[in-house]
Amino acid sequence: MLTVENLRVVYHDVISVLNDVSLDVKAGEILIIIGANGAGKTTLLRTVSGMIDFYDGDIIEGDIKMEGVSIRGLDATDIMKRYGVTYVMEDRPIFWYLTIEENLKAASFSRWNKQIKTDMEKIYDYFPVLRPQQNKKAGYASGGEQQMLAIGMALMTRPKMLLLDEPSLGLAPLVTEELFDIIRQLNRSGITIVLVEQNAHAALNIGIRGYVFETGRIVLDGTAQEILENEDVKEFYLGSGERESKSYKDAKRYKRRKRWL
Amino acid sequence: MIDLLQTLGSGVLVGLVYALLGLCIVIIFKSSETFNFAIGEFLIIGSFLFYTLFFNETIPWYKALQLGAVIFLFFSFILFYDKNLRLRIALPLGMVTGFLIFCVFFFGLKLSSLITSSFLRFAIAFPLGLLAAGLFGAMVERVTIKPLLGRSPIAMTIVTLGLGFFLRACVQLIWGSHAYPFFLDLPDITVEVGDLLFLSDPIWAGIISLIIFGLVIAFLFRTRWGLAIRATSEDQAKAMAFGINARFILLLVWGISALCIAVAGIMISNFGALQVSMGFVGLRAIPVVLIGGMDSIGGAMAGGILVGICEALAGAYVEPLGLVGFKAVAPYLLLLIVLFIRPYGLFGTVRIERV
Repeated sequence: MLTVENLRVVYHDVISVLNDVSLDVKAGEILIIIGANGAGKTTLLRTVSGMIDFYDGDIIEGDIKMEGVSIRGLDATDIMKRYGVTYVMEDRPIFWYLTIEENLKAASFSRWNKQIKTDMEKIYDYFPVLRPQQNKKAGYASGGEQQMLAIGMALMTRPKMLLLDEPSLGLAPLVTEELFDIIRQLNRSGITIVLVEQNAHAALNIGIRGYVFETGRIVLDGTAQEILENEDVKEFYLGSGERESKSYKDAKRYKRRKRWL
Repeated sequence: MIDLLQTLGSGVLVGLVYALLGLCIVIIFKSSETFNFAIGEFLIIGSFLFYTLFFNETIPWYKALQLGAVIFLFFSFILFYDKNLRLRIALPLGMVTGFLIFCVFFFGLKLSSLITSSFLRFAIAFPLGLLAAGLFGAMVERVTIKPLLGRSPIAMTIVTLGLGFFLRACVQLIWGSHAYPFFLDLPDITVEVGDLLFLSDPIWAGIISLIIFGLVIAFLFRTRWGLAIRATSEDQAKAMAFGINARFILLLVWGISALCIAVAGIMISNFGALQVSMGFVGLRAIPVVLIGGMDSIGGAMAGGILVGICEALAGAYVEPLGLVGFKAVAPYLLLLIVLFIRPYGLFGTVRIERV
């Protein structure tokens, strides 16, 4: 569905964030991207969704293709309208001073028509907690409700592909679990999902395939199961490796190995 | 007592015009966190555009030709690069617009010879003039603000400062700096109750400003475009991520703002004459928005009326004591007092900052 080829992205003309990233997303899957802070995960999503301009970033090399057609340089709104790619930014991208209902309406701006009402009902069915709060300012909702609203808003755009940037940020483990259940349900209803997560364990459990990012490169890819079982990932992302092997020497060894990967 | 009522009444009527000025600043500030310092110049240009249409004012052919050329370059450029049209379509479209502008400025609209009723003439020229002013605002946004989208709001504010000087020089080049007589000749609706007397012009100014203010608010709070504007005001990046074209919304906001400023400009010109130095009236918007709160639409209304009343009171009661010119200073004194008590203005959102 989506292919990224040798992508290089630079911020403010000097800060290189992505180097030679190539990946592909197959229709109907859940793709997990994990990596440390500053590895370029968010930048990748921004680039794919066409928001990179706004953050003063440039694609200097490579191409992004949606079903074989290059979408490099297209506007964010064009990418959303033509290809149904919706980017849910990190940290609950909702409009704080609008009510929950207004938030949903605002998100459906790009495809305004008669079906909005029925679509909104559908969202309220998906997230029953939102229904009684329709007329409350979204800023007063709890963290979990805000994240659900954010996903609801993304659904109002009728996406074919959802790019989720750390939906579990700042949520309690139970709420995270509920959220991931919903993501799995969405996937079953036919939406391709790219999920960027710090919460690697939970994410890899619902994922099908995954990539590991490290300072702007992909250092590992495979099925979610393979990544879960990889020794290095276990040690550095899942934190469940052998206790005695966590010495500085091994960290260096890992870094050296990373360079060669 | 009659004196006081008279003063308060005229203060409120002028205040309604100031409220409109404040609204223009507030909607731009909300949507891009920029303070539009070029408001005075927008005000003169809006008034001059209306003047050209209404009074059939023409300018020499070489000036009109230059204007037409600028418009041609601008439109062909925008259509070619921004709308991704082919040069084959963009060039002729630019030429047509440029030629139209040339014709309007060189030959005039000839409304006065076609229509004798001045009110009907006003009813035609007013929307046309406002449309022209709105388009002008949108043009300015495309050239100066759009390239800075996503940068710091301070950068845009500084740009509007420079823009103000540039536009002022342009107006002086095109129309000169002498005063133009300005008389709308609207139907007389002077109100005379007992000893109270309110002249027709301020009443018209108040009514039209109030109507435009109401229309803008209805647009913002009742339509889906208004919802998109409010969403974009909160966060441009989030709005873009949900498929709202933030760049176009910003264009729309600047257009609406320029349109409202033109209304205020026309109404203020109608009190006296139209000339370049009138741009300083635009700066009266500063106390208005600061008193009302920079990000509150209701605050703009309250601030406008307060400033109008304050000015009228100072003019009626303080100036006769020998303080000539105190009228112009009084709003700023009021501003100081308000800011001492409420640093965010009367209705501004108190920003919570943790230290």
